[in-house]
Amino acid sequence: MLSYIARRIVATIPVVLMVALFVFSLLYIAPGDPAAIIAGDQATPADVERIRASLGLDRPFLVRFFDWFWHVLHGDLGTSIFTNLPVTHMIAQRIEPTVSLMTLTLILSLSLAIPMGVIAAWKHGTWIDRAVMMTAVLGFSTPVFVIGYVLAYIFALRLDWLPVQGFTSISEGLLPFLRNLILPAVALGLVYMALIARITRATMLDVLSQDYVRTAKAKGVGQRGVLFLHALKNAAVPIVTIVGIGFAALIGGAVVTESVFAIPGLGRLTVDAILRRDYPVIQGVVLLFSFVYVLVNLGVDLLYTLFDPRIRY
Amino acid sequence: MDRRGFLKAAAIAATGALTAPRLSLAADNKTLRFIPQANLANLDPIWTTQYVVRNGSLLIWDMLYGVNDQLEPQPQMCEGHEASADFKTWTFKLRPGLKFHDGEPVLAKDAVASILRWMARDATMGGPIKKRMDALEVVDDRTFRFRLNQPYPKMLFALGKSSTPSLFIMPERIAATDPFKQITEYVGSGPMRFNKDEWVPGAKAIFEKFDGYAPRSEKANWLSGGKRINFDRIEWQIVPDVATAAAALQNGEVDWWETPSSDLVPLLKQNPNVAVDIADPLGNIGSFRINHLHPPFNDVRARRAIQIALSQEDYMGAVVGSDQALWKTLPGFFTPDTPLYTENGGEPLKGKRDYALAKKLLAEAGYKNEPVVLLVATDVGITKAQGDVTADLLKRIGVNVDYQALDWGTVGQRRAKKEKPSEGGWNIFHTWHAGADCVNPAPYIALDASGDTAWFGWPKSDLVQEKIGAWYAAPDLAAEKVAIAELNKAAMDHVVYVPTGFFKGYQAWRKNVSGVVKAPFPVFWDVTKA
Repeated sequence: MLSYIARRIVATIPVVLMVALFVFSLLYIAPGDPAAIIAGDQATPADVERIRASLGLDRPFLVRFFDWFWHVLHGDLGTSIFTNLPVTHMIAQRIEPTVSLMTLTLILSLSLAIPMGVIAAWKHGTWIDRAVMMTAVLGFSTPVFVIGYVLAYIFALRLDWLPVQGFTSISEGLLPFLRNLILPAVALGLVYMALIARITRATMLDVLSQDYVRTAKAKGVGQRGVLFLHALKNAAVPIVTIVGIGFAALIGGAVVTESVFAIPGLGRLTVDAILRRDYPVIQGVVLLFSFVYVLVNLGVDLLYTLFDPRIRY
Repeated sequence: MDRRGFLKAAAIAATGALTAPRLSLAADNKTLRFIPQANLANLDPIWTTQYVVRNGSLLIWDMLYGVNDQLEPQPQMCEGHEASADFKTWTFKLRPGLKFHDGEPVLAKDAVASILRWMARDATMGGPIKKRMDALEVVDDRTFRFRLNQPYPKMLFALGKSSTPSLFIMPERIAATDPFKQITEYVGSGPMRFNKDEWVPGAKAIFEKFDGYAPRSEKANWLSGGKRINFDRIEWQIVPDVATAAAALQNGEVDWWETPSSDLVPLLKQNPNVAVDIADPLGNIGSFRINHLHPPFNDVRARRAIQIALSQEDYMGAVVGSDQALWKTLPGFFTPDTPLYTENGGEPLKGKRDYALAKKLLAEAGYKNEPVVLLVATDVGITKAQGDVTADLLKRIGVNVDYQALDWGTVGQRRAKKEKPSEGGWNIFHTWHAGADCVNPAPYIALDASGDTAWFGWPKSDLVQEKIGAWYAAPDLAAEKVAIAELNKAAMDHVVYVPTGFFKGYQAWRKNVSGVVKAPFPVFWDVTKA
């Protein structure tokens, strides 16, 4: 197992390298000029040229790429063109809100979606099943920002229970932390919840028709035991797979959610950097996201062995 | 912990939670929470000319002179000045007791270093002064002197100009930074210090009161007078989504929003706790920017075709909606309701729009249905609205329009290209100019018609340049008005660019905040919060 993990981690290196090259090339050919943005509307074309030169943006592609890559190998993601701050510092400033949002979203989604899917499968064909599926379809088809606005309108503006925007660090207390994050987590989690609930239901329906489930029932195992011990554990592999795949959707959703709720996370950092063509920041964040995504999928692969002992690496 | 211990701890925690809001309320009126017009991504007001950076810099750095609401430069860090009769020698003396945030006194050498850095980047006024300058010398710790080889009567306006880049005074060691590189220390002598440790670019910027600041005794008036801050802390919160910003203001999570979207203003006006008013009385001038280098608009007849067909009502309706208080037509280039405003030569922009004559003029200019490249920054509401109206206008006058939907970053790059439109260049793009920059020709870079060195579009007209020179040489307001009237006509005849109208924006704040004034920049001094 340990050698498998080591091999997989080593295998992430070429993936991340390819991502780095791809992102760098894409940004190089993409239109846009940070020097023009920095100089502003009042600047002369000559000023724009001098700023471009001072930022090194007039150097050839390969020189820029290898210079950047050499620094990345030394753990230096570069310096933001606009803020003059190290990219690692900017990422460190933004990581807590994004990790908090994603963690809370995951907890909320999994703790609601899996029971919903199990119950829908158990009560297959009843009004409960239809209600769960209708909720899932709604969650799927409603854009995150619409859900965000509706939640903010109801719970912040009308009821005055929760704040509209912002983020409070967990170091300032659990309650203020949750007050700021609960609406964004629900907004972001609905799509994820819908995805997991549907997969859980479909997989559970399949498992519940298996012989060993009938055997368990015949042996007198209670309904709860059948559902959660026998059926759910065997349905877990596809569910865990979809949780891993859905993580990419979660990253994309976080970009929107952080903008709607003004959360100073990595999603907003990415959007701001793209709009301004802050190349070092874009490259740094995309590298981080790709690395995390690869690690999450490694975690998913390892979880398979937990749920299905027949799987060995 | 046993059960009793747990209950006791929980009770204490609950009591704390209940009393916390009272404590924070007491401190709350010493903190102002402000949503600025854009993200404060850096804080070097010379390196970048973005207005949001200038606005933040106004808190950190002070200026030698500052304009009041009559656009008159008033002494700010300077105690006073002496000018020779021929306007070639200017001597300035700093006020006593000025201190930087690091405790060091503000000296003449700091002012000189700051002026030199500003001159290197300010093409509108700093550059021309530098060209005329024989020396800029330190006389003593509080005195410095310009020695020029040509008269420069507008010196005070230059040193106090609010258009970017404005002249902010920094310590000599910081002002020695290459003007094309960013400074890394934010030490000023203004009324607030910048808290770099709490700065999260794109999310928040924190300013803290500088107790060592010595305000002038006069009442504050825009950038002049005593800049008295009534807050210990001013928090700039970056809220990119306008609906969220509106909700945060209504919910009392922020105190003041610099640029509410005009779509949301009716909603804000309904809220009894929110006040809404015009933000900047000098407003903005919409711009239909034409590339003078390539056909068809290298022929003045084609540019005039646009002038006589363009309906400013259509543009303003698209930009700010139906709120009549927010816009007016503008048959001229200068900011309405300012001393030099004129409509001389503005007839082509008045009266019924004449599409037939526009088509005739285009034909005379040799236009034969070639694609006309229109760059539209669709991520900026004002440029998107103008671009859509222009696409419609061009079709009406028989122009084959190539509408290129881009983001502002790409338009910023494309507009610098002088190549033919078919080779990556362009014919038309839209922007707007702050009215504060259009009160006279000095900061008005868009009116420069010097050809290759002019602003994007590169208009060339010797007559326009001659009239700009006449304004610089004008000894008094009456002479300035004559020069500006002639300049306006010359620029209209040459169609340097086509104004699409004059428009203003709103600002909104909680009603427990008082002292918010109308100005081209947020004025934090004398603002209080109950």
